Amino acid sequence: MKKLPLGKRLKQGVIKRIKGIGLFFKRVWSHKQGKIGLTVVAILVFVAVFAPYIAPFDPYDVADRTLKGLPPSRTHLLGTTINTGQDIFSMLIYGTRVSLIVGVTSGISIAIVGSILGVMAGYIGGAVDSLIMRIVDVMLVIPTLPLVIVLTNVFGRDYWIIIIIFVALGWTGLSRTIRSLVLVLKNSNYVKAAELAGASRWHIMIRHILPGTSHLLIMSTALSSAGIMVAEAGLSFLGLGDPTAISWGKMLADAQGGGALLFGAWWWIFAPGVGIFLAVFSFMRIGIVMEEIMNPRMKQTSSVYKVFKNLNSRYIEEVFISMDDHQKIGVDTTKTVEES
Amino acid sequence: MKKSYVIKRILYSIFVFGIVMTLNFFIPRIGVEDPAERYYPPQGNMSDIEYEIIKQVTRQQYGFDVSTWQQYLNYLTGLMEGNLGTSFRSGSPAVTDLIVDRLPWTLVLSVSTLLIGLIAGILFGVIAAMKRGRWQDTTLLNASTIMVALPGFFIALILSFYLGFEFEIFPAYTDPNMVSNFDWSLSAIQTVAENAALPVLSMAVGSIIGYAQGTRNAVIAVTNEDFILTAKAKGLKQNTIRYKHTLRNSMLPIVTSLGMSISGLIGGQVVIEQIFNWNGMGTLFLEANNMNDYPLMMGIMLLLSGFTILAILITDLIYVLLDPRVTVGDKR
Amino acid sequence: MDKVLKLRNLKVVFPSGHGIIRAVEGVDLDIHQGESVALVGESGCGKSVTSQSVMKLIESPPAMTRVDTIEFLGNDIKDYSAKQMQDIRGKDISMIFQDAMTSLNPVMTCGKQIDEMYIRHQGVSKKEAREYTIEALKLVGVPEPRSRAKNFPHELSGGMRQRVLLAMAFACMPKLIIADEPTTALDVTIQAQVLNLLRSMQKRHEMSLLLVTHDLSVVSNLADTVYVMYSGKIVEKAPVKALFQAPHHPYTVGLLASVPKLSDTEKTFSQIPGTVPHPMKKPSGCYFHPRCKFATDKCKNTMPPLTTLSENREVRCYYPLNLKKEATA
Repeated sequence: MKKLPLGKRLKQGVIKRIKGIGLFFKRVWSHKQGKIGLTVVAILVFVAVFAPYIAPFDPYDVADRTLKGLPPSRTHLLGTTINTGQDIFSMLIYGTRVSLIVGVTSGISIAIVGSILGVMAGYIGGAVDSLIMRIVDVMLVIPTLPLVIVLTNVFGRDYWIIIIIFVALGWTGLSRTIRSLVLVLKNSNYVKAAELAGASRWHIMIRHILPGTSHLLIMSTALSSAGIMVAEAGLSFLGLGDPTAISWGKMLADAQGGGALLFGAWWWIFAPGVGIFLAVFSFMRIGIVMEEIMNPRMKQTSSVYKVFKNLNSRYIEEVFISMDDHQKIGVDTTKTVEES
Repeated sequence: MKKSYVIKRILYSIFVFGIVMTLNFFIPRIGVEDPAERYYPPQGNMSDIEYEIIKQVTRQQYGFDVSTWQQYLNYLTGLMEGNLGTSFRSGSPAVTDLIVDRLPWTLVLSVSTLLIGLIAGILFGVIAAMKRGRWQDTTLLNASTIMVALPGFFIALILSFYLGFEFEIFPAYTDPNMVSNFDWSLSAIQTVAENAALPVLSMAVGSIIGYAQGTRNAVIAVTNEDFILTAKAKGLKQNTIRYKHTLRNSMLPIVTSLGMSISGLIGGQVVIEQIFNWNGMGTLFLEANNMNDYPLMMGIMLLLSGFTILAILITDLIYVLLDPRVTVGDKR
Repeated sequence: MDKVLKLRNLKVVFPSGHGIIRAVEGVDLDIHQGESVALVGESGCGKSVTSQSVMKLIESPPAMTRVDTIEFLGNDIKDYSAKQMQDIRGKDISMIFQDAMTSLNPVMTCGKQIDEMYIRHQGVSKKEAREYTIEALKLVGVPEPRSRAKNFPHELSGGMRQRVLLAMAFACMPKLIIADEPTTALDVTIQAQVLNLLRSMQKRHEMSLLLVTHDLSVVSNLADTVYVMYSGKIVEKAPVKALFQAPHHPYTVGLLASVPKLSDTEKTFSQIPGTVPHPMKKPSGCYFHPRCKFATDKCKNTMPPLTTLSENREVRCYYPLNLKKEATA
């Protein structure tokens, strides 16, 4: 069985996987919604990486007290804060970093932890399965946000701690989905064949079952990243995030606490809100498009109805007429079909 | 068969609650040898001897001077009597009393949100499914596309900004005297309704659209089922098909998702209560968090988890009533 | 014999994002009183769409339908409103579906689902309807009908469920029964029971039957006249005996040959090469020519018309087979 050295086989496997994933993203890109999502994410990543070069002001700068509460203008694109005079546009740009880092890191970690536990539960079964699933059941009934608050109180508020907490609480849904998928794969013929050929449990799990879940994992990463971004914003909004960083949730909290509502400083509320919306929206779109690709029945847009609205009635009449026996003679039907 | 399933579900819920109780006991004890340190973290200007004395007092006051096992037993027997421990607040009030004071105010918000969300959501969802592909449906689709990416607290801020401050239609902050002046008179109830308008609205917007989209998808999924074609072939009137065949079957996935959505609703309400200064369990929880009041925090957590377990249990039992097939085997 | 159904030039297409699916391309169908007509073809040939179009059950959207005539009991129901159709469905034409498990409402008792027929079409009370239902269940051979009526579909066996569907279809003694693959989902032994029941009920009450199936053994048992459908078009029409003795269309020949017989001495199954054309990419000329070993250039370029050879025998082929055989038969 072992013809190639392990390293080479692994390399080939990895290349094959990456190619498959690339193809998957290509399909997402060919979708209108997916294109929007991927573009916005790309812009957000660019902004986060080059934040110091894009931001016109130092977002932490509270020195100049004359600039308090300015409405949007040419110099301050999104105005300044009422209480400290910070430039909101620069804060918005720096805030991208927190959202993306916390969201994507947690999303990827959730995919890893969730898939490992899900595959273990589904493939090993028995006591392992019931232990993992009982944990899932318990986590399901504890309200997430209060639990996160308690845990940050216990463990501290560094971002890496917050990420660990999000991962520790966020893997349950994914592992349940993976588990049911594994239960299907487990009974598939190719896994049975591998078992009969004497492959070890771990070999089957890693080589045969995990690859079958890869698309689901990318989708889950996109969707859980979006969910975590909302949760992080909520936590920061309550003043329970990392106190040293600038984040969109904290900006909203400052806006509420700093009198933006009272003094009508709408720009202070909308800027971070739109930031959160764009980030969450784009990740969500990517995830949902992936879901539609994997499971066409999930399709939300009723394309049939769209097609029906835009029907070319003359063309349809031609199709109907071409079905008549006497019309058929001497007509090349393939051409009329491919015109559509 | 049905009976045994119901008993099994109830026993399992009790089992899950037992685990949650245990977690609640151990979470504050993670990472510290002496729970007194968690309850009373060292302050900067305090000498070691002073801190030692304070820990000593804390231990005695909260019963940490016995073994952990004994503490756990005491905690459990306390729970049986409805005693959730004593709060850190001045005067050492019982956690149970604090919670009981706030509970009705929290329920006012959550129950009205749930009712509005369900009724309006199912109504809109059914309309969208019936007008599939037309403007009612596309509007719902677009609204839900946008809504899923909008955090509830942002919606709350926008509503508070426009309806509360700009146009002054509803109070943007809850009247601080609302609770103390409440006497079941008509005017007092009206005050509560006015003050609850914005918090309920900010939570309900998301619920309505979420339930509507779920209902719409469920109804359409059922419409494509074979037995609907059978019903049509039987010559049944459209309304008979719609109400007796389609809707009843579409309720099944909605009931399942309802139980699951309760936990999220409770979490979201913590933030909403904070924004509108509403005197409920959410604000109580955040106050407790700021004061490191662990007994109060864990008490609220336990209660919220209990509510969620109860909600999931009830929806599961409703499901059994609606779907005769469940008795054949466990649906999980 | 009176004509129960006269269908002329039925065309159904399904527009989709990728093109137009041509499901049915100009089908004519005649059913006389007491006659049982079989519509035979592979899956995807448009036979189910045709049968559902007779009851106007195909919805638009997604489908688009054109038809010259649907004459039922002498009335042209082509332009009937949805309400008028509702009065005919179940009462004058009723349908038996393939999978009784999915065709019955899972959260309603079987009895209630039959009750609905009487309440809707005969205007009786719930109590009277239940008495009729129990009679109907007895008639289709359901033991202990009173308690079975209170069962939910999932609590019954496959054969019992199919009997419930039969009882429902026969409830109002319709003039025409459409049976869409009525036995495909059943075990072979139960298939025979259900088919016998179907035939005896139909003969006793002089009903007409439109049987949609791919199973030729069912056809030989039940049908008087057979229509063979291929890729949305009728390719052959013949009385059942004549068809089995002397199939004219190469496709029919292939279909009959692919049924294994006990007398077969060869050890391989004969089969028709190739596959059914994709409903969006149909070949030019005769749709069957890519799979036909007798195909000529003429077949590749032009669609042969449905030609009448003798009374009740029509075939859509330039070079019909077994012509002599029929003469001797």
